[in-house]
Amino acid sequence: MKNSFFLAATLIFLTTSGFSQKFYTKSGKIDFDATSASSPEKIEGVNRTATCVVDTKTGAIQFAVLMKGFAFERALMEEHFNENYVESHKFPKAEFKGTITNNETVNYSKDGTYSVTVKGKLTLHGETKDVETQGKLVVQGGKVNANASFNVLLSDFKIAIPGLVADKVSKTAKIIVSCSLEPLKG
Amino acid sequence: MKRKKIIRYVLLSLLVIAGAVGFYIYKEYNRAHKDTAKLTPDYTVGATDLLKEFENNEQASNKKYWDKVLSVEGMVKEVAKDDRGFYAVILGDTASMSSVRCSIDSAHSNEALSVKRGGTITVKGICSGYNADEMLGSDIILVRSVISQKK
Repeated sequence: MKNSFFLAATLIFLTTSGFSQKFYTKSGKIDFDATSASSPEKIEGVNRTATCVVDTKTGAIQFAVLMKGFAFERALMEEHFNENYVESHKFPKAEFKGTITNNETVNYSKDGTYSVTVKGKLTLHGETKDVETQGKLVVQGGKVNANASFNVLLSDFKIAIPGLVADKVSKTAKIIVSCSLEPLKG
Repeated sequence: MKRKKIIRYVLLSLLVIAGAVGFYIYKEYNRAHKDTAKLTPDYTVGATDLLKEFENNEQASNKKYWDKVLSVEGMVKEVAKDDRGFYAVILGDTASMSSVRCSIDSAHSNEALSVKRGGTITVKGICSGYNADEMLGSDIILVRSVISQKK
């Protein structure tokens, strides 16, 4: 009993006084590619306004992105993406909350490329699912570049693909994340 | 004889309809995004006022502004350019972490070149929503923005 009190007190002390360095960006890039193998045209959108935060101490990693911010080359495709597929008027935001499971292998103060495994929950179209992916962290000159790509099954997020476009729109979407993170001051 | 004539008319009108539908689909499919510079703003607001409105009631503000053309006047906190040459103009009060972040339409990139930090400008863009974040500061994001006025 005494021991656990001591432990809790130490933990609180550590978390409040401990040096916690965070890296972040508000202009992260997220590509969305749902081009099916048989499609003659590319079905892809890009969002350059994703928010990302990495806590170097705990390995916690978070992303937030506004669905309406995905830009498609064709206006019609962008409208369909927003109105019929992700229904961004109802679900304006997609979020990922997770952790870098091998965070202890990353030295954020030493330049280098580190392979990481990220595990967490992705919320899209109002549905939350577990996602796990491999990624890369490149530490260079006090900044961190975070890159990862993973596939999601659209039906997992209750996004239905109408039969008419099934040959063009893939059942899975490839999500490519690339963020250049800067240290958070203060 | 009469029957043949009717069939011919029917076939001809079907062909015309099919052609019109085909043309419409083709045009619709290739439709380009509207140039924001040519759109009339639905709302004209100040950057800090807009931020306050979202802070006070995110849901109501989202309903009001989401997917609307906004003309926002504010002080330039930063002009950011990414590795692919895409510009973002960040408006707001330097004392606050919150801002209105405007992604500049790539066809209008050159307009961002002359934007100076600290100046007051008006940006027209399409509101894509609000990202509330206590630690990093909350942001309103405008996409496909153009610089409409410099002071």
